[in-house]
Amino acid sequence: MQALKAVWAVPALILTAFVVIGNVLSIAGATSQEAHGPGFQWKDGSEVYAKVCAFCHEAKVGPTIRGRGLAPAYITFIVRHGNRAMPSFRAGEIDDESLARVAEYVSKAAANQ
Amino acid sequence: MASKFIALPKGVSEKTFEAAIAEFGSILGQDSVLVTAEQLAPYIKTMMPVPDADHAPSAALLATTVEQIQQIVGVCNQYKVPIWMISTGRNFGYGSAAPAERGQVVLDLKRMNRILEVDPDLCFALVEPGVTYKQLYDYIQEHKYPLWLSCPAPSAIAGPTGNTLDRGVGYTPYGEHFLFACGMEVVLANGEVLRTGMGSLPKSNTWQVFKWGYGPYLDGIFTQSNYGIVTKFGFWLMPAPPAFKPFVIQYEHEDDIVEIVETIRPLRISGVIPNAIVIAHALYEAPTKAKRNDYVTGTGAITDDAVRQIMKDHKLGAWNVYAALYGTQEQIDVNWKIVTDAFSKSGKAKILTEQEAADDPAFQYRAALMRGDMTLKEFSLYNWRGGGGSMWFAPVSQARGSETLKQMAMTKRILGKYGLDYSGEFIVGMRDMHHIVDVLYDKTDPAMTKAAFQCFDELLTEFSNEGYGTYRVNTAFMDKVAHTYGPVQRHVHKTLKKALDPNGILAPGKSGIR
Repeated sequence: MQALKAVWAVPALILTAFVVIGNVLSIAGATSQEAHGPGFQWKDGSEVYAKVCAFCHEAKVGPTIRGRGLAPAYITFIVRHGNRAMPSFRAGEIDDESLARVAEYVSKAAANQ
Repeated sequence: MASKFIALPKGVSEKTFEAAIAEFGSILGQDSVLVTAEQLAPYIKTMMPVPDADHAPSAALLATTVEQIQQIVGVCNQYKVPIWMISTGRNFGYGSAAPAERGQVVLDLKRMNRILEVDPDLCFALVEPGVTYKQLYDYIQEHKYPLWLSCPAPSAIAGPTGNTLDRGVGYTPYGEHFLFACGMEVVLANGEVLRTGMGSLPKSNTWQVFKWGYGPYLDGIFTQSNYGIVTKFGFWLMPAPPAFKPFVIQYEHEDDIVEIVETIRPLRISGVIPNAIVIAHALYEAPTKAKRNDYVTGTGAITDDAVRQIMKDHKLGAWNVYAALYGTQEQIDVNWKIVTDAFSKSGKAKILTEQEAADDPAFQYRAALMRGDMTLKEFSLYNWRGGGGSMWFAPVSQARGSETLKQMAMTKRILGKYGLDYSGEFIVGMRDMHHIVDVLYDKTDPAMTKAAFQCFDELLTEFSNEGYGTYRVNTAFMDKVAHTYGPVQRHVHKTLKKALDPNGILAPGKSGIR
């Protein structure tokens, strides 16, 4: 915030004032809803699989992907780019580390694990 | 020299954009400012029949706090850089996570994903925009709260904030989602933070229980709009009923839709059937059990004979009416008699419950949606034509049989002209029907993609000529739909836009508003 103020022109400073007012108002109305803490984070690859991938790939919507020895690099590419009817998944949803873990999980998993 | 960016916002030089990106980096950290082609690839894939490059973002920002967003809009105002806000980014068939216009910066709120409050007594939730239905579902299960969600078909990976702000629907008695919204926190374009309704009152504890507050009701102007960035969203949850009875009623002929609607309307308006009933055409349900290639060869729309064969082979009606009863067993027993008496009068209806249909994949996913469970089975639709092309055509109809028959016939005729199938359903509102048609096509086939675009354009034109408005549309057709609602509404929308966002930094083009 301080760094920003240093480079903003005058109109931007006016906006900064708005921002500060907004913050103060938020704090004045603080309730339990203000509690800060980390948001949701994936625990491991199997959780990503169960809570995202499995809804299609274990439900005969998408093809079976476990037990095929798919290369992690291939899985990662398809997840990020999508493929025909399969949507792409953003780093905001599945961060790079979790994607690496789920790719490894899918690559090594047996079909009926 | 080649640009270091894959796209630039309209009217913004590379040098200016570079300066803005540097400031975004100072606010969020460099890792949360995405600018390379590889980083932005997931934002570019859409299901619309236009080049993905037309909707390529210049950057994506992964914000996690209100304070960051306040600072981001400050930078956007300074450099006149437009941002396109997404929550879970799962608006499939409506534009996915891509911006309305090439070069807009995506403000991706998926990592703003805290469940702030779930009250099991008053039955409400307050969440951040990145919370998915699955995340909230798991939270409710873990805490053993007797509460049910209402979610749209992409339940597990979509979320309540984005769905409700785009005025999406679900399938439980709370299925008209915006009716059950209660309180928002909104970062305005000038950086101020507005809490709507009772949320503006310091120390108020009624933000999520009383919608209206004092003075003009504002929540509506933050839906399907670009007047602010919703950072907290409150909504009501349904108490889990002691008993639940899903059922499906099948009819053999397409023109039976008249009888179906005339039978349902009084049951829905009186509340005997409390949920958002779905009247699904055979081709909407067929992809859960059948492959199109087994019934169609060559180009062109599927024939009526082939549809009848699918119905026969896979135990589907031409229309399949999914509904449920909720409450105590005694309440359900009374209402079940009313329902079966009403539908049995003509002798055309085939009524099935879990006893007969529990193993049917279409019934299973419909029953799951009607109790707010997680399922993505409806995505089977995307396998029907294959190739990843889909647009939702979503005109509104009166809940009147003659109207639904007319809309179905018009839609089927226009789709057939372009070689596309009628994969349609009607979702029954209180007095309306959302006529939802998945315009499915193979996006890897240039000729079919072109036909799909022309078809969708004609659907919008012909329906508006008949006085039928579209309630929601993909980002390639927002201006066209806005135009159908006439100049006065557009002028009011623009006036509000100028007042709340004079630099036009928030999602220009959303719902045709700039």
